[in-house]
Amino acid sequence: MIRLPRTCYEAIIEHARREAPFECCGLLAGKRDRVERVYPITNRADQAADLFAERGLMPRAGADPATLPAERYFMDPEELFRALREIEAQALDHLANYHSHPATPARPSRTDIEFAAYWPHVYHLICSLADPDQPDLRAFRIVDGQVTEIPIVVEDE
Amino acid sequence: MAVTILIPAPLRRFTNEQASVQVEAGTVAEALAALDAEYPGIRDRICEPDGRLRRFVSVFVNGRDVRSLEGLETPLRDGDEVGIIPAMAGGQ
Ligand SMILES: [Zn+2]
Repeated sequence: MIRLPRTCYEAIIEHARREAPFECCGLLAGKRDRVERVYPITNRADQAADLFAERGLMPRAGADPATLPAERYFMDPEELFRALREIEAQALDHLANYHSHPATPARPSRTDIEFAAYWPHVYHLICSLADPDQPDLRAFRIVDGQVTEIPIVVEDE
Repeated sequence: MAVTILIPAPLRRFTNEQASVQVEAGTVAEALAALDAEYPGIRDRICEPDGRLRRFVSVFVNGRDVRSLEGLETPLRDGDEVGIIPAMAGGQ
């Protein structure tokens, strides 16, 4: 179970809507199973075409890098580094990563599962905007390629 | 130069869960070599067999990505902080 204050839940959905049709991404920090802070990170997928191509994870051969953020995310490394330091400085734990699926369901894709290999100890939250009126936010553990859904409990403060 | 290497959570199993390691090094490459001498195997997670930085790893000196500096040859000064993080990436 992951406990998400309503303000954080709404911040993630707001971030996903603001970036659509591109994917949004960011980190969630807190203590034990309760999120306390949302750290939005810039999606630099347009600069990471080589990273996806190297693993055969480009959406299409010859896809224009400028359109990649609509189907891929790559967190800006310097922002990510700063956010992780900030989380440590606040004596919080990095609990989760989040990103959006602007047009597909909230299930980890092959690309998500492959890159999750480096972060098996955090939850992976996905916010689907496939139905724009009904955002669907779900959390997963992804360990050794195995995906397990984790219930999200939205808490009213 | 005495520098501090900040170890990201996914690589701490190599460092007995230590979050930072002090080494003596004049460049980022030397710092990673010193780290690997102390904790064998960790450099393979950061560099390709030919020594290049792996594409899904970013290395920082005082918060600046070394890809925007001089790569692994970026010089280090006393007290510098070397950060390492694997990419966070995915898609739909
Ligand atoms: Zn995804």
